[in-house]
Amino acid sequence: MRIFIIKRLLLGLLVLFGVISVTFVIVRVIPSDPAAQWVGPRATIEQIEAARVELGLNDSFFVQYGNFVADLAQGDLGKSIRTHQPVMTELKAFLPATLELVFLSTFIGVFLGLYLGVVSARRKDQWVDHLCRFFSVATVSIPAFWIGLLLQYVFYGTLDWLPLGERLSMNVKLFHEIPDITGMLLFDSLITWNLVVFWDALKHILLPGFVMALFPIGLVARMTRSALLEILNEDYIKAARSYGLSERIIMWSYALKNSLGPTATVVTLAIGYTLVNTFLIESIFSWPGIGNYIASAVVSLDYPAIMGVTIFSAVSYVFLNLAADMIIALDPQVRT
Amino acid sequence: MREKMLSNVKGISSLFTILAIAGLLVCFSVAAATAAEPKVALYIQDTEPILDWDPSVESGGGMLVLNNVYETLLRYDATQKKIIPLLATSYTQSNYGMTWTFKIRKGVRFHDGSKLDAKAVKFSIERTMKLGKGMSYIWAPVTKITVVNKYTVKFDLEWPAPLDLIATSNYAAFIMSPKAVKSHNQDWLSQGNAVGTGPYVLQKSTMGEEVILRAFDDYWNGWGEKRYDFAVVKKIVESSSRRQMIEKGDASATVYLPAEDLDQMKSNPNVIVNVGPSLENTSIMFNTQRAPLDNKLVRQAFAYAFPYKKVVKYAAGGYAIKARGALPAQLWGHSKSLFQYSQDLEKAKQLLKQANYSQNSRKLLFTYVSSMEADKKMAEMYKSDLAKIGVEVELRGMPWESMWELSKSRKVEDRQDIFAMLWWPDYCDPYSWLYNMFHSQKEILYNLAYWSDPKFDKLIDDANYEMMFKKKKSLALYHEAQEMLLDESPSIFVYDKKNTLVTHKSFKGFKDNPAYPNVVFFHETYPE
Repeated sequence: MRIFIIKRLLLGLLVLFGVISVTFVIVRVIPSDPAAQWVGPRATIEQIEAARVELGLNDSFFVQYGNFVADLAQGDLGKSIRTHQPVMTELKAFLPATLELVFLSTFIGVFLGLYLGVVSARRKDQWVDHLCRFFSVATVSIPAFWIGLLLQYVFYGTLDWLPLGERLSMNVKLFHEIPDITGMLLFDSLITWNLVVFWDALKHILLPGFVMALFPIGLVARMTRSALLEILNEDYIKAARSYGLSERIIMWSYALKNSLGPTATVVTLAIGYTLVNTFLIESIFSWPGIGNYIASAVVSLDYPAIMGVTIFSAVSYVFLNLAADMIIALDPQVRT
Repeated sequence: MREKMLSNVKGISSLFTILAIAGLLVCFSVAAATAAEPKVALYIQDTEPILDWDPSVESGGGMLVLNNVYETLLRYDATQKKIIPLLATSYTQSNYGMTWTFKIRKGVRFHDGSKLDAKAVKFSIERTMKLGKGMSYIWAPVTKITVVNKYTVKFDLEWPAPLDLIATSNYAAFIMSPKAVKSHNQDWLSQGNAVGTGPYVLQKSTMGEEVILRAFDDYWNGWGEKRYDFAVVKKIVESSSRRQMIEKGDASATVYLPAEDLDQMKSNPNVIVNVGPSLENTSIMFNTQRAPLDNKLVRQAFAYAFPYKKVVKYAAGGYAIKARGALPAQLWGHSKSLFQYSQDLEKAKQLLKQANYSQNSRKLLFTYVSSMEADKKMAEMYKSDLAKIGVEVELRGMPWESMWELSKSRKVEDRQDIFAMLWWPDYCDPYSWLYNMFHSQKEILYNLAYWSDPKFDKLIDDANYEMMFKKKKSLALYHEAQEMLLDESPSIFVYDKKNTLVTHKSFKGFKDNPAYPNVVFFHETYPE
């Protein structure tokens, strides 16, 4: 097992190295002048020259690459071309909001997905099953941003039940102390028992959290359903039935437990997908996270910021894949 | 039976628990809502409120925020075309526009409590010049700044320049507290700190997201009975979200809504669509160094082929006026009697024939900023009309940085043939405008028609000099220079954009000033 993890980690490092190198090259091939951008919209020739020296853009490609990798090894991602602030500082500022959204949506996704999967499997080919299957296909195939806009229109524009976006309402932000421990508002406000902030944050995260959860819900539901249907035909389930155990116990205690392996693998990959999905959802819900950050960075070709987010995404994917591999490896059937 | 009763009781008790929790939560939310006594103005836009907090450096989009936190010596009122005193109460010029003396307002305090004086003015401008970033080049004529006495400061110039206009610039002319700046490292301001004299104090800035400003009680110009205690500037990318928020009154003001939305919102009694003139102008630059556009006749033909009316109506959604000459209507130097091209495809064909333009010429490359929907529509309309006179065009939407980089390629053949340009003044001066776009340049910067004519250079140089002494003569020279541009047609002057700022009906006091596009001076506004 240890060798397996080490092997996977080394492979992960290789992947990261590849991603860093490829992104570095791509970013430099795009015709753009980072020095001019660094100075601002009305740059003079002298200012651009000075910026070129300051940013080390006159160095050869390999020197620039070497410097980048050396800085990266020390956790330095360089300074954003637009804001002139260290990319690492900015990532740290935006990350908690994204993580909060990803955690919540995964949580909703897993629980609702499992529930729908179980219901579908129990009532196979009945109308409930058809409805669940339709729902799960829809959640996977309908673009999340469209659903996001629709829900905004309904819950903010028409019913006025929920806020349009952002993390907190203006009044709470201005007149209440906002706890800042992990940067994840729901968690922070709960452990400091700041219920005003908690309630406000909860209202704000519901819509984006639900929209982000749609994909995992569909994925988990379909996965659980098919795994369960297979398991329900196994001999030990038949044996359990013949002992007269209730269908509920058989489903939740025996069958579901054994179907969790493949579902867990899918969940780790769904988290990866959710991370990418944040790019759209955060823009729609004005959620101040990594997705919103990268959207502005890409439009203005802020390459240190683009590299920073790319590396972050690559690292996340590598670890999520590792987690998925480990879950599979832990399965006794695979191990033997 | 007992079990059933028990389960009923259980059910009822859990119902009560849920209701109690919900009630508690509602109480909290009501408490949160009613705690809000102070008035808050919320301005939402699609870009970051500010990129670099250093007032000597920022030139990217922080005009609104900086102009509420900091102040300049003078302010320009573009609707009245006059200069208004701000931190300077009066000024004089002597020595043929080479020496400028400003009287500094007494009794003004910075947000850190220190007092404004001539030394602070000298410190701020010298700091901006020394850093040499952003739009600091506007101070290029200044050679020496002298503190004459506590409230008088003198500027010596190397060549005559309208320093009063320069001091009204929307960037790089802000006065900051020397005490605060000196007691911190150089990056302190950039990192999100601000100490100006403006009516609002920076309370909190969240990177790339929002800026919260608080009213400055000791503001020198005082406060009226009603005011906004807080002014918040926030980034909301989605235009549909911005529209919904302003219509519901959750936001006070917003900008950059699509023309279709603006048209629809005009009938909504809860919002006011403020449409006013701007100093922003869209033009088309021709590559005058490469065939076929190195030929004046071809350029004139292209100017006659342009669908002016359609572009104003459909590309700009009607929120623009057809340009007359190079300078926008609100800028001093603009002339109403200049010639104006109109679309005439027959004349265009004739001119092409006269120029011996071959129908088998290569495809011309037309670049525009991909994120600008109006430019994209304009490019498509122009392409289809050029096709009618036998000219084939390839459209390429690119990010501004890439497009600009391409336009500065070393080889002329690598550059585009047609370039869609948006221009606005750094300060309200015709010389800076015409110099940047059409004066001969050794190294290409913004003269993206690559046009060079010593006669034109001399005309605008003279006009600039005369502006301080003989305004009429200066105007005549600018008129002549623009006539020359129209005849030579290195560029098509398409339209002057209109500023469109949507406010909620409860947000009062907003006055549009095109010299500071889309800036709300929150001190002038009040809630109702």
